[in-house]
Amino acid sequence: MIARRCALAMVGIALGSAAAVADENNDLHLIPQGINEPQAPAPAATEANQRIYLEDAAVVSSLRSGLLVPFPPPAPPDWQERLFLDARKQWRLGDRLNFTISDRFNLRAESDLPIPNHENVINEFREGYLSWQPLDRTYLDLGRINLKSGVALGFNPTDFFKTRAVVEPLSVDPTVLREDRLGTLMVEGQHIWEGGAITIAFAPKLYDPTAIYNNTNLLSVDPSLDRTNANDRFLIKGNVAVSDDFAPEFLLYRQGNQTSLGTNVTESLGQSVVVYGEWAGGDRSSLIDQALRYGRLSGSLPASAPSALPEDPHRHFQNQLSVGASYTTQSRITFNLEYHFDQAAFSRRDWNNWFRIGSANAGSPGIPGELWYIRSYALDQQEPISEHSLFLRADWVDSFVPKLELIGFIDTDLYDGSSLAQVEADYYLSNSWTVGGLVVADIGRKHSDFGSLPQAASVLLKLVRYF
Amino acid sequence: MRITRIAALLALVFVATSAEAQTAQEIIAASDQVRNPSQPFRSTDTLTEYIGGKPRDQDVLAVYSKIDPATQQYRNLIRYVAPPRDQGKMVLLDGKSLWFYDPNSKASVRISPQQRLIGQASIADVLTVNFAIDYTGKLLGDETIQDPQHQNRQCWHLDMKAANEQTSYNRVEYWVEHGTNYPIKAKFYSDSGRLLKILYYDGFEQRLGRVRPSKAIIVDAVDTSLATIVTFGDVTPQEIPEAWFQRDYLPRLQAQ
Repeated sequence: MIARRCALAMVGIALGSAAAVADENNDLHLIPQGINEPQAPAPAATEANQRIYLEDAAVVSSLRSGLLVPFPPPAPPDWQERLFLDARKQWRLGDRLNFTISDRFNLRAESDLPIPNHENVINEFREGYLSWQPLDRTYLDLGRINLKSGVALGFNPTDFFKTRAVVEPLSVDPTVLREDRLGTLMVEGQHIWEGGAITIAFAPKLYDPTAIYNNTNLLSVDPSLDRTNANDRFLIKGNVAVSDDFAPEFLLYRQGNQTSLGTNVTESLGQSVVVYGEWAGGDRSSLIDQALRYGRLSGSLPASAPSALPEDPHRHFQNQLSVGASYTTQSRITFNLEYHFDQAAFSRRDWNNWFRIGSANAGSPGIPGELWYIRSYALDQQEPISEHSLFLRADWVDSFVPKLELIGFIDTDLYDGSSLAQVEADYYLSNSWTVGGLVVADIGRKHSDFGSLPQAASVLLKLVRYF
Repeated sequence: MRITRIAALLALVFVATSAEAQTAQEIIAASDQVRNPSQPFRSTDTLTEYIGGKPRDQDVLAVYSKIDPATQQYRNLIRYVAPPRDQGKMVLLDGKSLWFYDPNSKASVRISPQQRLIGQASIADVLTVNFAIDYTGKLLGDETIQDPQHQNRQCWHLDMKAANEQTSYNRVEYWVEHGTNYPIKAKFYSDSGRLLKILYYDGFEQRLGRVRPSKAIIVDAVDTSLATIVTFGDVTPQEIPEAWFQRDYLPRLQAQ
């Protein structure tokens, strides 16, 4: 009897094991057919040194009427059509010498531009520089360079070379704005060693400050060095590995007679979370004072014009901060949540003054223009307009169907709850073709940051061919 | 007949003895040596995505790998060669530190291993990793399973649990062939125990001093219509200075 039970047990184990193995072998059915067929040869690794694409984008916008503070002419266009060739390429001139160029050539038409017009052709010469490695991992770069700093997504206080560098963007996603901005003519030295890196850069002043451009007076094929080289600028930054996974970066920046300090820190928490913080501080005047001073200096505002808003010409130590975290879900959606603080930007009192004075003087030709100039200055400088804001971004690769990437963000002014929101969808038709679209909206009451803007919403459709 | 019985008994004893002689961790380590060359090397990995059994897109990555003497784990540097929209992007993995660099924005962003950067495959799938460092194994038994070419392979069946926070998966089932220590199959599970991926190793051939797999077949177990074939091509020894694993080096890495 015992022997029979043992035999049954053995048979049971054998059958169980066989069943498990059969289950394992069932997985083979999930393997696609044709895996043994020869594959197309991989492209040469040197192709990684370039990205070239042609994009056509059409934008339709809806404008608000009845603004509390009238927007000075020209009004934003209600449609745009843009065709551009975008190229980034690096050539190896020798063992230790490279040349890099990055450029975007635009053909554009807009509701507020006559055709033909020199404004129909805009070339953005982003970068062009030589890079020499005189010693191992010691580099000397000379030319127009896009020097980027910062670890946050929505606002980078330590990205000191961002000012005035963005030209007519198609998307307001901060991560996209960085892709299409002008570099600064500079000399840069860098040394990288096992435990860290140090970078020193100097950008000379070549031009006096020029007026802020709008979409109807952009320079056509001019390199626009006046945007990037209107001050002597000096940056030294370095990072040192304190531990295996913690290497804070410290920055010292001087522009004209103003000095700023900054730092970037990041830390990884497990498989899904990264926390980060970025701070910069220095003696600065308020955004209002900076804007009005710049307007008078560049001739955009009359030199003797009285200020519409209370000015404080004194400089104080002002802080800028961006702290946040990213979290990636099991379904591969990555969320970034950030808090942004800019001490020099509009406080609640500044906003109240802006609306009160602007609406009380809506019929006056000068005051609304001056008030809007302050806001366009903040945009041109890539600085927040409001002291406190919250930024949430989500990126979902292969969202509802494979090859569909959804990206959305919302930037909320914490004073009034108004928001800038954008949702973008890109579908990768193939390795060479992408079709996509985005919707952007300024949401809020009339008496709010984003609700007071002349543009209510816009829709963009695009087709991209990569080479 | 008696001789046959003795031979069978001896064979059983031999198998039992070798199982005792090789612990689970030793089997995993031996299998790591099959998968990964011990010297610094560069490879060109081609990832072909299949949707519903049909090839769709192809991503090509240049991967630089080197063992960190302090941890015995690999450091990896990845450069996107294709598709054209991603050309020049880079990823650095150094211990817990994972950075993504985009030459278009010139921005370095710290990312988590969970982030999917290459089609259906997560970045963890293309990294060179020593399982014996990241996982603690237990021998479940002995199984004969078929490889992707439908050849029977007599394998150790191992159950591996994450030994630190740096692992991409909480649990892995792993099949390693007796005698050769060839990795044959792996199943990757989430923290909740959900089967996420099934991976087969294939295309064993001589490279950098011994026979190693030249292909990995990754099936998405959540959506089984999705699969990725990773081909490890042009595996070449390469001197890789330690400074390459600094995030500031990413913009400086030259295509070879």
